[in-house]
Amino acid sequence: MSQLMLTLKSAPLSGETPKATPHLLPCRIHHDGPAEPARAFWDPKPSEDGSSQTAYFRGRKLHGTTVNLPPDYRGIVAVTSAAAAPKDGEPEVIDLEAPDSDNIGLPQGTLQTQAEFDEMVVWGHETAVDAAGDAYLRGVGEWLELAGKIHAYPTPLTKEK
Amino acid sequence: MARTRAKGPAASTSKADDTKKPPASSTSSVYTLPPTSDNPSKLFILPKSVSPTTARVITLHHPRNNKPSRFLVCPESGFFEFTTVASPLRSAPRSWLVQSSSSSSSSSSSVSVSQQPETPAATDPTNPQTTTPKTEIIQSPTLHLTTPYDPLFLLLPALFANPSSSSSNDSKRMFLSLDDHLDTLPDPSRHLASLLSTTNPSSTATRQLVEARMAAVCDTVEAGGEIMYRVSEGKVVREVLGKARAVLGGPGTTLEGGKGDEKGKLPGSMEERFVRRALEAPVLGVRVDWKGAGAGGNGSGSGTATPTTTGESQESVASTETVGSSATEVSAASTAATSTSVAADGEGDNGVASAMTASEEVVHLQRLRVAFDYICARYIDPSITATLKTHLAKESTTTGLGVDFGPLDQYLAQLAKVRQEAAAERSGDFSRKRGGDEEQDERAEKRRKQEAEEKAKKASMSRGVKNLMKVNTNGMKKMSDFFKKK
Repeated sequence: MSQLMLTLKSAPLSGETPKATPHLLPCRIHHDGPAEPARAFWDPKPSEDGSSQTAYFRGRKLHGTTVNLPPDYRGIVAVTSAAAAPKDGEPEVIDLEAPDSDNIGLPQGTLQTQAEFDEMVVWGHETAVDAAGDAYLRGVGEWLELAGKIHAYPTPLTKEK
Repeated sequence: MARTRAKGPAASTSKADDTKKPPASSTSSVYTLPPTSDNPSKLFILPKSVSPTTARVITLHHPRNNKPSRFLVCPESGFFEFTTVASPLRSAPRSWLVQSSSSSSSSSSSVSVSQQPETPAATDPTNPQTTTPKTEIIQSPTLHLTTPYDPLFLLLPALFANPSSSSSNDSKRMFLSLDDHLDTLPDPSRHLASLLSTTNPSSTATRQLVEARMAAVCDTVEAGGEIMYRVSEGKVVREVLGKARAVLGGPGTTLEGGKGDEKGKLPGSMEERFVRRALEAPVLGVRVDWKGAGAGGNGSGSGTATPTTTGESQESVASTETVGSSATEVSAASTAATSTSVAADGEGDNGVASAMTASEEVVHLQRLRVAFDYICARYIDPSITATLKTHLAKESTTTGLGVDFGPLDQYLAQLAKVRQEAAAERSGDFSRKRGGDEEQDERAEKRRKQEAEEKAKKASMSRGVKNLMKVNTNGMKKMSDFFKKK
């Protein structure tokens, strides 16, 4: 599965990709897939000062920290799938495969975008998560920026910067 | 984990899902949850510059650990790597709950307000509002961050892979074409090959990009209409150092950034751990300084109360050696030390405020070195790193790179000395304390031994002898009386 060459694809249904808000719960839920209706057990409210959110989940108070993604990044919720055979209407894939004999054996897959998000909420039990210690907060806050700096290189067009 | 499923283990999935229902719902059949999907969604964070139509996710050998890793390649915006953030299952179990709505991003709060009148345990699961926010649970708490990736790092193993590379001599390496270089790259799933193959029309941009990056670190020769490349260690070091500088400086700072990067900082957690702590002198030095001032100058007379510049560090080092031996002094000093550290934190704009204070230049060099080491540690094979580092050391002395780690090394050597002294000082304290303890311990040990011996003796005596010992022998003649000479 991890060896597939994946193609990004946007939402299949309408033209508009649904917006989502991922919540990182401080507990493990042994389920994958839809959980409806969620309103009854998941109802976060912004706290008084507006900077954070609170929610009660199974009787426990959770504090949420909202993380905004950097402006030049977007989040997607996506499903990987192994497309057995490239269908028509995917010209790139066909172009890629047709002329070169090397490519014929390559398994192809898609990364199907289900929803987009530009913020996520990291929840902590009883207290808000520690911004310095939490891998998610640091990953989004620091790593995205740092990686951008490390890997900045003059593009072929603007070579002499 | 167990807490969320307080109802105990459930055999079937549908039963397990019951536990997620609100306590208010009296019956267990109000909601039915679809079975767990075997292909769960994943969360990605992608740069907006990635074109969704032409980008490919491919598997390549990671240049550092030589394991296949995922990369995203986009003809327009280049290479991207995936970094997976996950929390440990045991210590911090987590899962995603994704609420999505087609209307607005802030729906989660606004809709919830509008639904307030309804009871939480609304029995009608298909009320009109619930169609808007869709909720999905993703058990695995992973988040994939997609960040730009310089294809240079992918190429380095190939460039250094030449058989003669062990000699680390530029002249022995051969000029090779791009394709020859790429052939030496491990590419088990042939993703890179197909991506760069000349017959692939969308590959030209990617190919150009790879060539440009190759040219940045190689000497080139044109032969027969084809450009041949040979890696130049100097250029690689220059390039990596440029990246290190870019990390410190603003986003626009490149190799030629020069002066602009002086005030740059590393990201918070790195700054704290590798720069502040690495350059921080032991607090003991401060303590002694304070004692000297507070206890009426029985130190070496360093009257200044606040720890300051490097010039003074020598003085405080000297005063470390004159630490008093009485316990009261030490305790007084330690209370002083706590107050200094608070004061230092208050004023500590430079971050380092103790016996030795690193100058701006030293801090900057340390940052640069940390950034350099970090890049090497993360992206470059250890053997290549070693080559680069020797090269860097060689070059920096001849100022070929405009960076001289000399002051930093000096400072670090001095710091090591101070730390060693401080450690010796402390261990001295400990041993003195322990000395007293040991004496006591010894005495107690002796007593214990004696008691044990007595006990053993008693135990070996017979009952008759024991009973006889209790007899009052006062007024009786001693046995020896009978054997006296008359």
